[in-house]
Amino acid sequence: MIDAILGNIIWMALITIGGVLISWSVHFVPVGGAPAAMAQATGIGTGTVQLAAGAGLTGLVSAGFMMNVTDSLPLILASGAVGAMIMISVTMIVGTWVYVYGVGVVPSSAKVKVDPITKYRQDLYVSQGTEGHGLPTVSFVSGVIGGGLGGLGGSLVYYSLIEVGMNAGLEAVGVTNSVTGHELVAVAAIFAIGIFFVNAVIPSYNIGGTIEGFHDPKFKKWPKAVVSSLVATILCAIVAVVAIAQLGGI
Amino acid sequence: MSAGGAGGEAKGGYPPQTIMALGIVGGLVGIYLGNFAPPAYSFFGGLGAICATVWGADAVRRVASYGLGTGVPSIGMLALGMGILAALFGLSIGGPAGPIVAVVVAAIIGGVIGALANKVIGMGIPIMEKAMVEISCAGTLVILGLSVVIAGSFDYASVVQYVVANGYIALIFIIGGMGILHPFNASLGPDETQDRTLMLAVEKGAIALIIAGFASSLHEGLMAAGLNMLIGIVIWYVAFSKHYALIKRDAYAVVGSGMLPSSEELQ
Repeated sequence: MIDAILGNIIWMALITIGGVLISWSVHFVPVGGAPAAMAQATGIGTGTVQLAAGAGLTGLVSAGFMMNVTDSLPLILASGAVGAMIMISVTMIVGTWVYVYGVGVVPSSAKVKVDPITKYRQDLYVSQGTEGHGLPTVSFVSGVIGGGLGGLGGSLVYYSLIEVGMNAGLEAVGVTNSVTGHELVAVAAIFAIGIFFVNAVIPSYNIGGTIEGFHDPKFKKWPKAVVSSLVATILCAIVAVVAIAQLGGI
Repeated sequence: MSAGGAGGEAKGGYPPQTIMALGIVGGLVGIYLGNFAPPAYSFFGGLGAICATVWGADAVRRVASYGLGTGVPSIGMLALGMGILAALFGLSIGGPAGPIVAVVVAAIIGGVIGALANKVIGMGIPIMEKAMVEISCAGTLVILGLSVVIAGSFDYASVVQYVVANGYIALIFIIGGMGILHPFNASLGPDETQDRTLMLAVEKGAIALIIAGFASSLHEGLMAAGLNMLIGIVIWYVAFSKHYALIKRDAYAVVGSGMLPSSEELQ
């Protein structure tokens, strides 16, 4: 057990970095919850956890797909990041269509007077009694950055867990179709998902409700969540590495 | 979604200690019986999972009454996220003591995350640490219980081969999480009562047992799977009937209040 931890100390560090990236990424994603679903707040009309998990799991799937053809870490990370960015962009652009053409509101934020990217006035377009609506440009760009970081973190965690399994004597799928390969992929994926959910929920407690992106005042709270995620992910990494290393013995 | 609002302590009903004892003892006894009894009796794991689901739902009810600011489902997902790590870790190093090791590890992870949420993030919920320990342990026991139903034992190799490698673990993740997060999420409001919420948890646990029983046909054969599902259906029927009776008890009568007073009557 101690040997497994000492032998995989680099991968544990990478898992921890991945967890911290996921936690940080959540702060970039514009989340509006139920008020946004009724066009009374800016962002996508669902909770942080669902969005972060969605972006991360898409990153995990696209990273896994890339691992079929190559084992180069930069390519796998890029694939995971781009996959998650595409997923979150599609969600946001379709959401914007619904807000603009379906609900009939102008995407605008009530938390800033001018959009930090386009420099357009925001306050003139905010409907009375709302905190803004739709996804203004700054929220969209912020969401894409968040998706990229989340996908990067998710694929980093997944890749590291697969490497831990290979160190323990298991083989990856693609090299062989043996049952052990499938077990390694399944165990690594489910541990990555567990780590992902832990790191998606911790920052959502930090945000507490809605966040529009990096221009939101609540964004300044991210160091607290990142420190919490760091400690929590170190614990999770120890647990996951030992459990995967034990797979080598069965 | 209980966004922003600061609530208060959940009141009424059975004390937390009683539910906690039911969850730990019932959960562990069920898991061990399901493991050591012949394969046809793997439904005991499901009974353990139902006890743990009730415990988890009660802990969610107590902590979410304070208002989390993010909605109740997030804490259920956190429970299963911590639970899956602790469950597989416990089985991998514990051997016959696997479930107990898993619960201890789950308590440590839950305690650390609860302390971080309160001390670093500053949520300021007095029972956060305790509730996180309970929710994490309950999530672990639910995963172990349903794994025993499908695999017939909690041996690490069997669980990895029959539950994890073929993807049933994702199924357990979602139905187990539903059992823990859904009862309070569906019942919350000013007229929420503990017995109604927990009866809904029993009903959700029974549905989880039915689905896990269906999945167990792959490894344990049709007879054992049929028995698992039959027991799940019986528990579901009883719990659903009771839940419906409790809904009728708590639903308010529609009382005719007459027409609005006219301006002359108000003089």
